[in-house]
Amino acid sequence: MKDSLVLLGRVPAHPDSRCWFLAWNPAGTLLASCGGDRRIRIWGTEGDSWICKSVISEGHQRTVRKVAWSPCGNYLASASFDATTCIWKKNQDDFECVTTLEGHENEVKSVAWAPSGNLLATCSRDKSVWVWEVDEEDEYECVSVLNSHTQDVKHVVWHPSQELLASASYDDTVKLYREEEDDWVCCATLEGHESTVWSLAFDPSGQRLASCSDDRTVRIWRQYLPGNEQGVACSGSDPSWKCVCTLSGFHSRTIYDIAWCQLTGALATACGDDAIRVFEEDPNSDPQQPTFSLTAHLHQAHSQDVNCVAWNPKEPGLLASCSDDGEVAFWKYQRPEGL
Amino acid sequence: MASPFSGALQLTDLNDFIGPSQECIKPVNVEKRLGSGVAKIRIEDDGSYFQVNQDGGTRRLEKAKVSLNDCLACSGCVTSAETVLITQQSHEELKKVLDANRAAAPGQQRLVVVSVSPQSRASLAARFQLNPTDTARKLTTFFKKIGVHFVFDTAFSRNFSLLESQREFVRRFRGQALPVLASACPGWICYAEKTHGSFILPHISTARSPQQVMGSLVKDFFAQKQHLTPDKVYHVTVMPCYDKKLEASRPDFFNQEHQTRDVDCVLTTGEVFKLLEEEGVSLPDLEPAPLDSLCSGASAEEPTSHRGGGSGGYLEHVFRHAARELFGIQVAEVTYKPLRNKDFQEVTLEREGQVLLHFAMAYGFRNIQNLVQRLKRGRCPYHYVEVMACPSGGSREGQHTRALPGTRAVGHRPAGWEWEEVGHGRLVTSLLPVVRRLGQGTCCDPCVPSALP
Repeated sequence: MKDSLVLLGRVPAHPDSRCWFLAWNPAGTLLASCGGDRRIRIWGTEGDSWICKSVISEGHQRTVRKVAWSPCGNYLASASFDATTCIWKKNQDDFECVTTLEGHENEVKSVAWAPSGNLLATCSRDKSVWVWEVDEEDEYECVSVLNSHTQDVKHVVWHPSQELLASASYDDTVKLYREEEDDWVCCATLEGHESTVWSLAFDPSGQRLASCSDDRTVRIWRQYLPGNEQGVACSGSDPSWKCVCTLSGFHSRTIYDIAWCQLTGALATACGDDAIRVFEEDPNSDPQQPTFSLTAHLHQAHSQDVNCVAWNPKEPGLLASCSDDGEVAFWKYQRPEGL
Repeated sequence: MASPFSGALQLTDLNDFIGPSQECIKPVNVEKRLGSGVAKIRIEDDGSYFQVNQDGGTRRLEKAKVSLNDCLACSGCVTSAETVLITQQSHEELKKVLDANRAAAPGQQRLVVVSVSPQSRASLAARFQLNPTDTARKLTTFFKKIGVHFVFDTAFSRNFSLLESQREFVRRFRGQALPVLASACPGWICYAEKTHGSFILPHISTARSPQQVMGSLVKDFFAQKQHLTPDKVYHVTVMPCYDKKLEASRPDFFNQEHQTRDVDCVLTTGEVFKLLEEEGVSLPDLEPAPLDSLCSGASAEEPTSHRGGGSGGYLEHVFRHAARELFGIQVAEVTYKPLRNKDFQEVTLEREGQVLLHFAMAYGFRNIQNLVQRLKRGRCPYHYVEVMACPSGGSREGQHTRALPGTRAVGHRPAGWEWEEVGHGRLVTSLLPVVRRLGQGTCCDPCVPSALP
């Protein structure tokens, strides 16, 4: 496991502050970071090093908690503790605020674009998840306000190919939503975690969902369609989700983020014990009861809590991470021999 | 238990336990007395607090109180305001008042009046499979049986509310003070006040809601006829929604002179149903009683009903009146065009390709959001919007009793509602000055927030 995760470089992305989140653009050429200094920075390579290509310093009054690129790569959404979500349009190295989405009662915790690029989801400490629709004229309208969670909603993520939305909450559950007639409804609740669920990631096929929690475990959930061979019961025409694997005993603190590489299938976690871990599914594991092995464990990846890990969508093995120490680090992951 | 209040209210922290960053913003008025520095506090056995001065003298300390209304106006504090509200206005409370009446000396009794909304009546009718008239009559029997003195129908007061809305719209259209946003839904008003204050409130209609018009009619007009002061009347309304309890407890509707509210207690349809159950009464089995009327001449036989959205048809009434008054056009059929979803629809009046009137109905929180945002950006194309906090505009099953399995549920537009020209002709117009007088000082200035219904 030694050398399976190698440091490529570090940048002081948000000095004297926390760096909360990272997002690679769809082309894999730019990395957006956001932090407690209320700024968003865009990083790109110049030779062997990473340099800051743009800074967005106006726009938010408080911490920027998450950023997300649109599927076309021309827009960046930023979710902030100031209860707003800004949509930025990229014009080479410049970013212009196209619109500000308001409506949440308090801190917006996450924002995510649907694969179609027409829908956006946001979630907040006000316990709600909002679905927004954007039209050709860059007008955003609220399509649905979902109040299924009973506590702060930490994260939202879209299925890689379907219009299915997942959310993670302080209420220890994961909820899934889909469109029904002219509104959105909660079609599944995944229970099992014993504490706050901090983040979610779908696998490349979209058949499985990974969740990470304050209970120091990672859970893998699998989708079972009605009439499935395994005899998993479904209600009506909605698929069921069952927890098929729990990774426990690997993390000594809260797991704040999880990322599932869409190219290689490797799972990376960001932990409150300052470490980064990578897991891979064992080659011959049973799809209904998969097993994962720890293939990389980097202690002291940062000097404080690791808040986010993000796999580059085009370059296999390229991983970015960020921390409460304000730094962004770049890593090269190589699957260890003999595993 | 899921909160029974509308989504708009729930999202405005009405029942949220305070997060560490929030503070009680309501200053508590405390009489400051001059004193010299330090004093001790002693707690008696009964839990009361006494301040012991340095010279040995004691003074009983008052508990710092934050009233229910303070809480409701604020964004969440230590008290769980919703549950307090529900206990203060419940069928239990009504029973207490009725029991107190039975035990009281003749001169000390209060006149108990119940005003039933058409939506609640329709819901109970569907639940018990009766027609609306029979339901109204049997409800009259039931309420009188338990000690209520008069039972009215608020469709009567809705006429006033609609008339006032119609006139106000025409006035504002001519004065270019648009758009006008309807205000009969207290959930929407509460949300608008708390979150968007300054730029929304000036647009809100100043016409009082049917519930509050009824409050004025009962406590002032009717009480006078009965030779009673307003505080001697206990007025109960039966409404389809919990948010109406909030509306009744607004300080705008508190009569300072007589220290009484225009509406003392709001019961939801569900609570009336519970009351029937607790009294062991089967509504269909009761003998129908003659209907009461607020004043002679008002046709008391058939409770008047209105076509239109589940909230009472504001949009349609105002639209038709405006078309007639402003453009001399008689509208036969009002056609709704659904937009983004079925709770957001628009209505247009066109002549020779030109749009004369552009109205919309926006129900439910998501549509309110979009409306508010458009207004904020100055991109609201509508002249009038009927806004309701709940999807389906308050006619949904949510707060009503549920129809029995296999029976027809009360749908988006309740069955059995017929069109009836607003106005019992001269009666309504002659009573309007009475209502205006009753509402004097609160209905004049469209920009004064306290003029909200």
